[in-house]
Amino acid sequence: MHDCPPPADALDRWLTAYPSIKSKGRYGHLLLEQDCDCDADLIAEMRPYFESAHRDARTFFHDQMGIDLHPDADDPAAHATYPTCLPPITRRGLFGEVMAGMVSEHYELVGKHSWRIPVFLFRHHEDAEHYLFALARDGTRTRELFGRKGSDFIGIALAADGSVARAIVGEAKWRKDLQPSVMDDLMHGKLVKNKKTGIKARSGKGIWYQVNRDIPAPHGLRQLQRLLRELDPDGHSAAILSLDRLLSVRNATPLPRTNLILIAGGDVPGRDAQTSLIPWEKMPADYTAPHALQVVEMILNDGDTLIDGLYDALWPAP
Amino acid sequence: MPEHDPQRLEIANNIRIGLALENELSADQARAYVRCLQTSWQVPTIQWADRDSREQLADARRLLHAAGVLREIEGSASTRAVDCYRRAGEIFEWLARADDKMRARAPIELFAAAAFQLGGLPAMANALLSQLPLDGAGSGLYADFLRADFDGVLAKVARFWRDHPDLTQRDAASALLREEAEDRIGWYFTVELVRALGLFADALRRDDTVRLAQALAKLKALDAMALRTFSDDVSLLVMLLHLVGQGYAAASIYRPVARLADLAPDRALRVIAYAREQFSRGRGILWSSQQAGLDRLLNHSSFALCTPTGSGKTLVANLALVKELLLRDHGDVVPLALYLVPSRALAGEVEAKLHAELGADLIITGLYGGADWGITDYWLDADKPTVLIATVEKADALMRYLAPLILKRLRLLILDEAHQVVPEANDSARVAFAEHGSRPLRLENFVARLLARAPDLVRIALTAVAGGAAGPVARWVENDPNAQPIGLRYRSTRQVIGVLQTAPQRRCTMLLDLMNGKPLYVQGRGDPVYLNLTTPPMPQLPGTMRNSIYRFNQLTVLWTALHLVEADRRILISLAQQPEQTMRWFKEALDLPAWQALPRFLPPEDWRGERFAEARAACVDYCGENAFEVVLLDHGIATSHGQMPQRLRRLMTALIDERICPITVATATLTEGVNLPFDIIFVTALKRSAYDAVARRMVDTPYTAAEFRNLAGRAGRPGATRGMEGLTLVALPTAVAASAPGQQDTQIGQIAGMASDYDVLREALRLDELAGDAAVGPLALLLETLRDRVRTHYRIATDEAFLAWLEAALPEDISDEAGTGATDPASRFADSLDELDAFLLTAIEEVARIDDGTKDGAALEADLAALWRRTFTFAAQVQEDWLERAIVRRGQAIVSIVYPDADERRRLYQYGFSPYVGRRFEVIAPAIREILEAATDYGQADAASRLARFATIGRLLTADRGFGFRIRDTQTDRRMLENWVDILGWWMHVPGAAKPEPAELRAWQRFVSDNLEFRLGVAIGAVVAQSWSAGAGDPLAIPSLEAWRETTSLPWFGFWARELLRWGTLDPFVAFALAQGRAKTRDDAVLLRIDYDAWLAQELDRPTSEDRIDPQLFLSWERAMPRGPREDFDQEPEAARLTGTTGGKRRYGVLPIAVDGATRWIDPAGYELARSDHPAIAFDASALRDDFILNTAGRPSVDRAFRSGGRR
Repeated sequence: MHDCPPPADALDRWLTAYPSIKSKGRYGHLLLEQDCDCDADLIAEMRPYFESAHRDARTFFHDQMGIDLHPDADDPAAHATYPTCLPPITRRGLFGEVMAGMVSEHYELVGKHSWRIPVFLFRHHEDAEHYLFALARDGTRTRELFGRKGSDFIGIALAADGSVARAIVGEAKWRKDLQPSVMDDLMHGKLVKNKKTGIKARSGKGIWYQVNRDIPAPHGLRQLQRLLRELDPDGHSAAILSLDRLLSVRNATPLPRTNLILIAGGDVPGRDAQTSLIPWEKMPADYTAPHALQVVEMILNDGDTLIDGLYDALWPAP
Repeated sequence: MPEHDPQRLEIANNIRIGLALENELSADQARAYVRCLQTSWQVPTIQWADRDSREQLADARRLLHAAGVLREIEGSASTRAVDCYRRAGEIFEWLARADDKMRARAPIELFAAAAFQLGGLPAMANALLSQLPLDGAGSGLYADFLRADFDGVLAKVARFWRDHPDLTQRDAASALLREEAEDRIGWYFTVELVRALGLFADALRRDDTVRLAQALAKLKALDAMALRTFSDDVSLLVMLLHLVGQGYAAASIYRPVARLADLAPDRALRVIAYAREQFSRGRGILWSSQQAGLDRLLNHSSFALCTPTGSGKTLVANLALVKELLLRDHGDVVPLALYLVPSRALAGEVEAKLHAELGADLIITGLYGGADWGITDYWLDADKPTVLIATVEKADALMRYLAPLILKRLRLLILDEAHQVVPEANDSARVAFAEHGSRPLRLENFVARLLARAPDLVRIALTAVAGGAAGPVARWVENDPNAQPIGLRYRSTRQVIGVLQTAPQRRCTMLLDLMNGKPLYVQGRGDPVYLNLTTPPMPQLPGTMRNSIYRFNQLTVLWTALHLVEADRRILISLAQQPEQTMRWFKEALDLPAWQALPRFLPPEDWRGERFAEARAACVDYCGENAFEVVLLDHGIATSHGQMPQRLRRLMTALIDERICPITVATATLTEGVNLPFDIIFVTALKRSAYDAVARRMVDTPYTAAEFRNLAGRAGRPGATRGMEGLTLVALPTAVAASAPGQQDTQIGQIAGMASDYDVLREALRLDELAGDAAVGPLALLLETLRDRVRTHYRIATDEAFLAWLEAALPEDISDEAGTGATDPASRFADSLDELDAFLLTAIEEVARIDDGTKDGAALEADLAALWRRTFTFAAQVQEDWLERAIVRRGQAIVSIVYPDADERRRLYQYGFSPYVGRRFEVIAPAIREILEAATDYGQADAASRLARFATIGRLLTADRGFGFRIRDTQTDRRMLENWVDILGWWMHVPGAAKPEPAELRAWQRFVSDNLEFRLGVAIGAVVAQSWSAGAGDPLAIPSLEAWRETTSLPWFGFWARELLRWGTLDPFVAFALAQGRAKTRDDAVLLRIDYDAWLAQELDRPTSEDRIDPQLFLSWERAMPRGPREDFDQEPEAARLTGTTGGKRRYGVLPIAVDGATRWIDPAGYELARSDHPAIAFDASALRDDFILNTAGRPSVDRAFRSGGRR
């Protein structure tokens, strides 16, 4: 279970926050701008939270990799360590997810709920799902991916009786440079050439599309519940019960929900200070889902240094 | 328990009640099922929107969720979880089979299979996955795993390693993780999953428990990782693979087998090899019914296993044989098991199955010979444990011959289809008592006597589910009033019952009425579920073929069947009676010009073509070149009916079983307990009509619910059929077929009659499903019948008066025609009493033979009371005191008044007739013996003289209806009786004998089977048995060929006569060659005779007549025949060099992968361990079904540790 509180002092020192809540309290925007350089102290203060967020996945990843099926293997296999072993792009994806959790737990967001992330799910292996069905590693994807991979991030708010009262679900993305074209790719999908007309246009399969079409019981909730059942059946008994109801009863009252979009990345020259990439004054017209929306923009100067420094520092060898 | 678990259970259970009650479909589910059926029949479907699919999918996920909760809290045995898994499996299945778009969104067919496995319906998982095309090699691998096809898993895994040699290196896993590529984790996960599944399949098959645990741990870890890193659906799939794997490990046959092996550690290896063979046959994972059965087998001895056919009862029976015959210490006694089956056809099936699996360890004999003791009975003096498979009639005859010997060795009794001990409480059952033809009574009688004599005998009853017989049968075999049958909750396939509507010039419609016994309808509209077939309407038949509505109806069924087989469906057209008429109708229709455009049947070109040719040759041999049977066979239509010669029936059954003939036309005798692969059964009539000469009118006997259920149970054998459900459709015309107004009126009435028969049947089926535990015993029915007769005949009212009457009544006092087969009420009354006497006299005499003398007084009373307590009647019903007293008092009367002469009782027992009939037979017995004695020249006599021997004996039987020939009271039958010697000549294959016209064939066959094989055979057998007993002083003496002539004082003709009647030949050598499987037809056997004669001429200077037919010489000749090459040669170990192992473990399980002339020996987890650079044997993919061991102690080499047998 994830149990480490966010590093409040470090966050406040590192980032300057520009929060706003508009559209009759349905739209929150939080601009975070880096205020100090990343240094060893910052990494040291952030490390416990990241280790806590990754602990569960690390345990199971290690358990799995530790089982060497070679017939001569007598001891648990010596293996690369998680998550330090992960490839660079995956690391950045994970960073975004953890930051989404940290931001949700630390800042006051739209609706002023008290968000908790009991376990982090890290679902960044879409390619594996192709390989699993093709049993081949080549890029020729003969079929559409089964199912939907669901949202990047999921957190919950508990009611007084311990039941799940609300969920925060969202997309958390890291981009090295947050130029307008990169933002467009992210929010509206990549440019695709129309085969007939030859004209390029956005595919429409961007973040807006993702958050607008999500179903009432968000993907990932079932997995989160299974983890709670395995990891803390007694402590989360009421939460587990409420999720049973939500996941298995026909026409169950939908879980109230907040959508989160977290964009983290490097600042670019074209952006002025205290200027957001996504409009903050009112709910963006692109957003059509009925739930409250929280946008977080995290503009960093040396994000890559932080990410690599941070991930290299996790679980230092004794 | 976590605080909120009770509420969680409640929610999950409410979902179960709302969506998953067994056999109750919600309106939406029924619609989904109907749509699925319509899609698989390629007919237009009901309205269905994407939203419907989404909702069904969501329901299935809800059910999986609920099942998970129930299992988590109630444990893996939760029956409520099983309900949820089953219905989830069905919903996924119905979407998948309807080719729903959802198949692209989620691997729903894999979910379905997994849910079926977790719901204890492995056959459904297998059937579904074997019929759906799958996209991607991964899907194929998971599908094989989810259908428990471990050979298939290993074949796919081996292909993967062959295609990815870099991944088979020792450090491949860590090298992958050290790569730079972004996708390395995803690929690593995939590779590790393939490793885990391959290792699991191999370790499970070999029972390598250490590595199996490793593979399971890996699956568990992959599940945990997938849960955190993959989408809902993929993590769900990995979780299901893990759960199903856990289930396999728990249900492996090795578990109970290892416990069995503890009984006799010195035989453990053989028993474990047996378990490995089961994996090879696809039966290594036990079904829930089998687990229950084996659990009982391990902990108790006797029990009743109550499951439908096709649910794997045979395995339980086999392991019972292993336990009782091979593993138990019986001291000096060579143990014997008796496996009782209801029909000779079933005896053949059971024998073949047992022989394939246990033939190396046990003598398995089907007791086919015509004689009560004959050439195939070498088991008697063999020192190998033996299984006798026999009908009750056959077993009974054997007991009369050899009771002391058999009782001494008998250790296990298996009663197959034991529910058949329950009689229908109707008039035909009562008539059967008088005609000495009641099967239920015979079974009860035989088993009760056996158990009274051998109370410690281990008993296992295999019985069907419905009809209320299971409970009483369990109490009977366990001899415990509180015994319960096991395995009730299991249904291996889906059974659908409905109607095929036929009408002239129209396409047929299928109406589906019942699914698993419950009404099936699309709720809200109340409409029955129907499918309009796309088969084109049958061309208008000529008027003569339409004048009979029955003929029209049957021909429409044939027309439909001929079209449906194009989709690889196997179809049975089931007839109530008169198969010869239907065969003629079919032949004439197939000759019509309009039918010539139908696709021609071509026999397969592989080994199955040889099977077909063999069956066709036998058909020509026994039926004639122009017989309907031959013509239909040439159209791919197999036939079977009760009067067909035994050998031909077995060959026809093989044609059906091996799926060589797509269509079968048969009466119910085909399907009595025999399990054949049919997708659809068309039933053409629901009753039999016969002329009752006494009542002078036609009497209808409708199918009983049990009969129909048995028939319907043959449709949809798990895994063997095309669809997921067995369909049984009653063909009902909906419009008249005739043109003439008069005939139209008749047909309107007949159509209404057929519809009403169907309504009656449905009601009977409904009541049958509800039937509790209220079976009636045959003996009670017989005694009640007698009491009723006494009341009306003598106006005796009280039970006590009836008992007093029993103490003195003689059959001849009731009717002058007692024992003559007369059908007037008084004679039937007398014959029913004689039937009761048969039961009692046999039992008393059996005791007397073993205890050396008849008891009387209190000792006899105690014996009779003990016998009574072993009857099914005693176990079945609430006890009425008078029943037991009736048994005891009549038994005492038999000894003191009815048959007071002990010698006579012994002879009557030996004859095997009911005693009063036996007494009448005794008058002619000496004459038969004289004829047998005189036949010393039979060996060298010509055909005419040989035939004359049989004719002379037969003439003694023509005038009598008690022990003699019996015919129906029709002109045809009377004419046949007058000319019976012609029929004998034809049957015995006399050159130039008169032959039946095709239309007469079945009547002749019936005469042969009823009177020549049976009655003439019984009469001769009775005299021979009597001669043996009179000659043999020691009741424990083992009959032997050496002593046979001396003991009986008869020439070899006496030995052969009954066997000759069975095979239809005058030549004992021909009978011998056919019985031993040396020849396929009688003509082939005649050719073989030339070889034998040449051999005999070398052996003996001047062979006498007796030498020519001496069975000992036949056997010597057979032993001198050259043997075929041994198939399973001992293979030299294959030399190997180590390439990926230290060899420290000394023994490694490996799989061969052939690459460029070398063999790579791969650990099942995908690591190359060794290579054979120049292998002596080129291993192909089929070698992956075997087990190989890499030995590293000394020079490395590979041995084949297990070679899979059987054909795929």
